[in-house]
Amino acid sequence: MVRSGLLLSLAAPLVLIAGPMLDSSLEHAGPVVVEIYENLPPPPPSTPQEAQAGWDKKYAHHKARDIDLSGLTPTFRYTESAFGFPRLPAKFSKNALPLDYSEPFALKADLHAALPAGSYRFRLRSKGAARFALDGKVLATTKRQKPNRSSNDDLPPPPEFVEPPLRPASVPHQDALATVELDGGEHRFTLVALIGGYGLIPDPAELSLSYSRDGELDRLLGGAETPFLTNAGWEAYEAGMVARHIEGDRQRRRAIDDPVEAAWAQRHRRVRAWLATRPPMEAPGVSSEEAVHNDIDRFVQAQLEQAAVRPMPLATDLAFLRRLSLDVIGVIPTADEVRAYLEDPPALRRQRAIERLLNHPGWADHWVPYWQDVLAENPSILKPDLNNSGPFRWWLHQAFSDDLPFDRIVTELIEMEGSLYKGAPRGFAMASLNDAPMAAKADILSQAFLGQKLSCARCHDAPFHPFKQKDLFSAAALLAGKPIELPEASTVPVREGSRKPFVQISLKAGDVIDPHWPFQDLSGADVVAAPPSHTPVTSRRRLASVMVDPQNERFAQVVVNRVWKRYLGRGLVEPAHDWSQAEVSQPELLRYLARRFLESGYDLKHLARLIFSSHVYQREPDPLAAAAENGRGGLFAGPVRRRLSAEQLVDSLHVAAGKSLDCEELNLNPLGDRPLRQFVNMGKPQRAWEMTALSNERDRPSLALPRAQALVDVLTTFGWRQARQDPATVRDDGPSPMQTLMLANGPMGTRITRLSDDSGFTRLALEDRPLDELVHETYLRLLSRPPGKDETNVFTDYLQPAYADRRVRGRSLSDVDPSKKTDQRVSWANHMSEESNLIRMQEERSVRMGDEPTEALQPAFRERYEDVLWALVNSPEFMLVP
Amino acid sequence: MTSWNGTRRDLIKTTALAGAGMGLGASAAPAAAERGGKAPRGKADACIMIWLGGGAGHIDTFDPKRRGDAGRNAPGSYYDSIPTAVQGVRVAEHLSRTAKLLDRCVILRTVSHDLVGPHGAASNLMHTGRKPSGTLQYPSIGSVVSHELGAKSDEVPAYVVMGYPNIMRDPGFLGARHGYVYLTQTETGPGGLTRAPDVDRSRQQRREMLLGTLRNRLRREHAGDPAVQSQIDVNEKGFRMAGRRFMSVFHLAEESSSLREAYGGEFGQRCLLARRLVGAGVRFVEVSFNLNFLNGSGWDVHQQGILKQHLLIRDLDRGLASLIRDLEKHNQLDRTLIVVSTEFGRPPEFDSQGGRGHQSLAFSCLLAGGGLRTGQAVGATDELGKKAVTPPIEVPDLHATIHAALNIDPAKVLYAGKRPVPITDHGQVIQEVFS
Repeated sequence: MVRSGLLLSLAAPLVLIAGPMLDSSLEHAGPVVVEIYENLPPPPPSTPQEAQAGWDKKYAHHKARDIDLSGLTPTFRYTESAFGFPRLPAKFSKNALPLDYSEPFALKADLHAALPAGSYRFRLRSKGAARFALDGKVLATTKRQKPNRSSNDDLPPPPEFVEPPLRPASVPHQDALATVELDGGEHRFTLVALIGGYGLIPDPAELSLSYSRDGELDRLLGGAETPFLTNAGWEAYEAGMVARHIEGDRQRRRAIDDPVEAAWAQRHRRVRAWLATRPPMEAPGVSSEEAVHNDIDRFVQAQLEQAAVRPMPLATDLAFLRRLSLDVIGVIPTADEVRAYLEDPPALRRQRAIERLLNHPGWADHWVPYWQDVLAENPSILKPDLNNSGPFRWWLHQAFSDDLPFDRIVTELIEMEGSLYKGAPRGFAMASLNDAPMAAKADILSQAFLGQKLSCARCHDAPFHPFKQKDLFSAAALLAGKPIELPEASTVPVREGSRKPFVQISLKAGDVIDPHWPFQDLSGADVVAAPPSHTPVTSRRRLASVMVDPQNERFAQVVVNRVWKRYLGRGLVEPAHDWSQAEVSQPELLRYLARRFLESGYDLKHLARLIFSSHVYQREPDPLAAAAENGRGGLFAGPVRRRLSAEQLVDSLHVAAGKSLDCEELNLNPLGDRPLRQFVNMGKPQRAWEMTALSNERDRPSLALPRAQALVDVLTTFGWRQARQDPATVRDDGPSPMQTLMLANGPMGTRITRLSDDSGFTRLALEDRPLDELVHETYLRLLSRPPGKDETNVFTDYLQPAYADRRVRGRSLSDVDPSKKTDQRVSWANHMSEESNLIRMQEERSVRMGDEPTEALQPAFRERYEDVLWALVNSPEFMLVP
Repeated sequence: MTSWNGTRRDLIKTTALAGAGMGLGASAAPAAAERGGKAPRGKADACIMIWLGGGAGHIDTFDPKRRGDAGRNAPGSYYDSIPTAVQGVRVAEHLSRTAKLLDRCVILRTVSHDLVGPHGAASNLMHTGRKPSGTLQYPSIGSVVSHELGAKSDEVPAYVVMGYPNIMRDPGFLGARHGYVYLTQTETGPGGLTRAPDVDRSRQQRREMLLGTLRNRLRREHAGDPAVQSQIDVNEKGFRMAGRRFMSVFHLAEESSSLREAYGGEFGQRCLLARRLVGAGVRFVEVSFNLNFLNGSGWDVHQQGILKQHLLIRDLDRGLASLIRDLEKHNQLDRTLIVVSTEFGRPPEFDSQGGRGHQSLAFSCLLAGGGLRTGQAVGATDELGKKAVTPPIEVPDLHATIHAALNIDPAKVLYAGKRPVPITDHGQVIQEVFS
């Protein structure tokens, strides 16, 4: 027994009893033993109507007393420090993909403890059915949450502080109170709660059990020093728990994944053994080694020498760092990173920067948006209907964070398993309002990994490609795992008497097409090294096996070419997604890189390192590369000049300003009384790739998310696709005047340049330093270079008149989060109400006004320095990859 | 009355039928449908599309039937009907101003599609003329018009939306430069074009002076790089577009207070702004009537939303009638096509609380001005407005007609890269609206 002697006066000392044996894979956090139960039996129907068909699914809303866990084995058993459960452990499949709990599932939390004798009031807080029992006797229950079919409920009242500073129960939470006399002996405190269920979001929200003694402030029941149930207490508790569970989930995922990783490593050894039997590949000799860092440069140099074109000179060290940082982690370097880089010895600094950045978590953040486009990830936060997929972004992020080999990523994508709404590859399987979803997926996969564009074979034989409609539907049938019937809408209507159509038609509606690998010319039917499997071999896995097999040289070449194009601005093969009539400018280099990629175990980082280390990547952009007439681009005298992608722009500006993305939770159902299949919660974005289409096709003010909209407006203007109904390798994101305006005048640009208390530039301006150093530092933060002499003069002259007296005496920066607040009561259930509409319209006006300016800087200086920031942010130089 | 089972597009391969079972005042629709001849072309050069999001009930607006009674669950119109300037054509009583101007309008009474459930999908269909295919994203009609006609001047955008930005309004495969500028409230002006509230003209000039320093340096250092130069060029061009001339279009206060009052509330002010935008050279303006709070549900009048539906209808009437008159006064009506569109209509029956569900197989849209043969209702529905008794006007037909009115070839083929995509999905121009 453990007696706690460190309790505050308000708290009752607890006597803790050792709990049962715990699942060792879950972290050991405290004395409260938590169990998760799934696949609950439905309670017996209470009326004949309820007993009718559909009872199990539709009417089995358990009442709190009906939750029967006897005879069930928990999925998880772990411990927490207290009775507050804002976050539960994630559930994973055998290959570490996120899975859903059953709907509904139950949480049971137990504590054996001795509280000092006295009168206690317990507070059970839950949004759904829950009960609190003392020694098995139920003392308090909350009601089940009812699924809602309405959209014109009244707006719920704002949470009211009944007993300040007690955190009020916000809708839809209920508080159930129980007063009890305790005798000072040991007792068992039990909470059982039902989470999710038909028509509900499976989220425990603010499920908690707290207590108060002698009218003191509530605190969570648990071990020593549990938090008070105040806003600050709960928020700190939640933040700590979320961080702990994220780390715990990661460790558990990695542990589950160890044997899977070993099996993939085994496959890679077989691939290497097979490659060893193939003729070796060597780089050509070149007459000048001047522009050669590695073998890549020898291939390129040989062709440059043949064409008598001189390579471009190396870019400056600072230009290289900015380019590299954008390419690896998707954001510009911070001023500290620039300084550290310049302190490295010149001969080593580039290679060190490459290694440092490749190990940065931003690697995943910059790859996710690329594959969102290529794989047409198209989730909707509102009733998916326009060819929407489920979200699979979080799985992509996890895969790149964990450095999964690329053959495994593709295999898991094709297998489409895991949770539909938690970002697993199963989300890829969805294509709402599409009568041939697997045909759409077959086309996406084929463009992404084989360079075979099959879109034009959707409704007829492709007129410009060597594919017949049957090829597409054979691959689709492989994905479906069964023969597919050709839908009417995937045919070309042919009218009697009208001219013969241009396209060839070899199938008609209703024809049945069998599963079949349509690309026999790319690879044979046998496989050198099949991907490891823990499940029976399905036709999807067969498709994946052929796809990633080393005999299918096309796969590695297409992937390598995509990476090359992303970093050099132009592919070795163009267009990268459609090779049937493609121009191949460096076939030997392509085969060489593909070989190295396979040898490395399908390791994208290895490939990236090879490219970043080459002289050709590190050169100044070739101004003639993009010119159409002389075809010089394929020579790679230097990279093609690129512009920042929409995500790079938005993320980089926030890094420079030291501000977080200001965005609502991407969720139109905060009350949680509608099902996930209608309202996916896409979370609160921290990077631009986490944004999503706002799906306000209903055009209703109450369905707007004004803070998110300000970001989406910038992103879309710069070529980000909010809807990805079709796959895209190249974005339509050429320069346009609207881009200039959106950044210069829109709310996001205003937020970046506004000197508010949370701006990094405000803190900078308050520090003691000569004015020219402020200008210098500002340049480093925004443009990763020092200002030229002319620039220093112009900007110091502009700031000089107000600089000396810039500080407001006695004012310091507040650390209160200045971001705009969103009224969480506005939810689908009440979005038709006048109040809900007016609230969102008011929030929209408030976003337009921008952040509150700091009071620590005199307005005369603040405005001038904001003008300087505005000029740098809006300069064309910011938009260009150096 | 019989219902019509074929479509206008089917008429091409079938024999034309005589106008069987037509309602009062409807013109002979089927006989006039196209039979292989060259499509007619209009002479309008701009379009204002009023969007009644939520699904405006045709039998409570432009296709009135006998009165129903929500209380007794007797199907029918919610309001009485009134005569209009066109003999034999009646509209709901709350459209009294528009009724007097109906000789400037064409009511299309048999618009039809099969996406009755989800608002998003039906709204997308009405805007793009197609269902999503997954092989490419189709552009909105505003983007197509922008692509075909461009803006009338460099200083204005071609396509402006008053409403929320979303996918159905997007340019799809036509590319971002055929997207729109949008505003959600007339008082704030369009995001991006309107300067931040704390930046006045002189501060903006100081900012652009500083920016000029950076531009000049970049121009000098990359004199031979066309990609850098074009980046500098769009930077300069942007600020020209936000110049004073175009931005003054948004100053509704320049109009007389009597005119502003005639237009009415926020919806009317949007109509007024649309007229000014078109006058400044914008080609396509979408005016969303999304002021849900007027009746608690907007046009999606399920349940009790219907109780105050008449407030919406009166607002529509006021804005639309003022727009027609005002355009006429500016000699712009013949060159400006007005389209009133919605994602579907509503059935004559009532739901449990006296409101209405959705109905997509027959509903009404309205065209006005644009140099069309106005003063008619095209097509007719059965006695309760549930089904078309003349050939349905499918969504591609409506789009083809809008294109033709704007002198855009309705048979034109657009290209998504190399892939040919007909401008509409085999839509047939409604011949009756061209004289």
